[in-house]
Amino acid sequence: MSGFFGSGPADQLATWIAAIATIAVLGGMLGERRVFAWSQHLLAGLATGFLGLLAVSEVIVPRLLEPLAAGPGGRPELLLGVGLVAAAAAAPWLPRVVAAVPLSIAIGALAAFALGGAVVGTLLPQAAAALARPAPTAGATLAGIGGAAITAFVLVGFVHGTPRGRVMAAAASTGRWLMLAGLGGWLGYLLFSRLVLLVDRIAFLVGEWLGLAP
Amino acid sequence: MTERQTWLRRLAPAVLVVVLAVALSVASGSSAEFANPAASTGDLAGVLDGVRDGDVVLVGFDPDIGTYAEVRPTVRALLADVLDRGARLAIVSLTPEGRALAIMERARLVRAGVEADRLIDLGFIPGAESALVALARQLERPTTGGAVVVLAPAIATEGVELGVVVGGNDLGPRTWVEQLLPRVDALRLVAVAPSVLLPELQPYLASGQLDALLATPRDGAAYRAGLGAPASALAPDEGPSALAILVGMLVAIAVLGAAVGVRLADTLRLARTRETP
Repeated sequence: MSGFFGSGPADQLATWIAAIATIAVLGGMLGERRVFAWSQHLLAGLATGFLGLLAVSEVIVPRLLEPLAAGPGGRPELLLGVGLVAAAAAAPWLPRVVAAVPLSIAIGALAAFALGGAVVGTLLPQAAAALARPAPTAGATLAGIGGAAITAFVLVGFVHGTPRGRVMAAAASTGRWLMLAGLGGWLGYLLFSRLVLLVDRIAFLVGEWLGLAP
Repeated sequence: MTERQTWLRRLAPAVLVVVLAVALSVASGSSAEFANPAASTGDLAGVLDGVRDGDVVLVGFDPDIGTYAEVRPTVRALLADVLDRGARLAIVSLTPEGRALAIMERARLVRAGVEADRLIDLGFIPGAESALVALARQLERPTTGGAVVVLAPAIATEGVELGVVVGGNDLGPRTWVEQLLPRVDALRLVAVAPSVLLPELQPYLASGQLDALLATPRDGAAYRAGLGAPASALAPDEGPSALAILVGMLVAIAVLGAAVGVRLADTLRLARTRETP
């Protein structure tokens, strides 16, 4: 049971709509592209509508308009934000230097948070955890060495241009193959996740819609 | 490609769907067969035992619609388990997709009889990583009138006991570990994520940054199998059928194997053609 719907008339209607949309999507596998395209448009439309609703009801009104209405003078950062949004919207008509400001701030802030977090939250704690083991077993030590070696090979595989020397070239090639093996493993996980989704959708059709599953 | 081959290519997915439907109808519908008591999920029991009546558990709800089916039974069981211990959930989303699913799950819990005041809705916070930084600042220095995040009074006064992150989207457990943990002292984090995120998250579990991780159907099934009956009313989802998934995986392996086999046969045929004078 997905638990999405109850047993009232509205829930029954929702179950039918969900079932029809699921069949339309599954029909894409059989070559029925028109209905499948319609379902894609429906999803895109619903997602856009939801995004708009979310932007208005949970961002613009409560986090911008209401604080500004309560006291515009007390929130200068919001006025600055509105100015940047206006500059981004009017970018085609503004000088390039001015139009680049909001985008630069957005990209710079995002990169700063992401990079800082990656160093403070991942790189340093992971390095510390890998180096300082309280009681390392032989297997854990070997696994650590293997992990370090794979990391080194893959990094060498990213060396810009053709690596010089036979050893470096062999290491770079090994790194690329190891990365491909990693990607293969990751695709295996992805396949599994998507398979669970397919099984879930079929279970919805068989169980909740047709009522055939035990 | 002949017309017959075209039809076969189109019918193959339909046959797969029918086979999976039959497997679902035959099987009990439970994924408990996946359960492995030796699953390495970290100190989940210990963390949950620390949750007391009235505690606030912060739930970062940002799964991906494409993989939510995989984690949904485990997420529901975990939320039910936490509620069953008397805790209150403060649900926050950093992605629109996560917000949509959070609204749905919250409505489901209210329909199931959970009091609305035990499901604190912190809503959607825009800003990606910077939203988490703002959330962390609010958790460290709680005020009820933050610039970006407005925490519920319950959180502002009592603090948060535990963080549960439902991952799958761009802003999942990794982002919480990177942005929240360095800024909020002594916050314990538990993550639920789809299998595809397991390689990314396992190092955090090994380093102790995540206290517990449920990232495969097997781990989820093991956790659910260990739960008692009380949580079942809030978590009716039994999870995907093990038989159907097994059949699907066998079909996928057969298709991939056939593709490799055909390629190998072509290579051999080409080599023989070259050798033939």
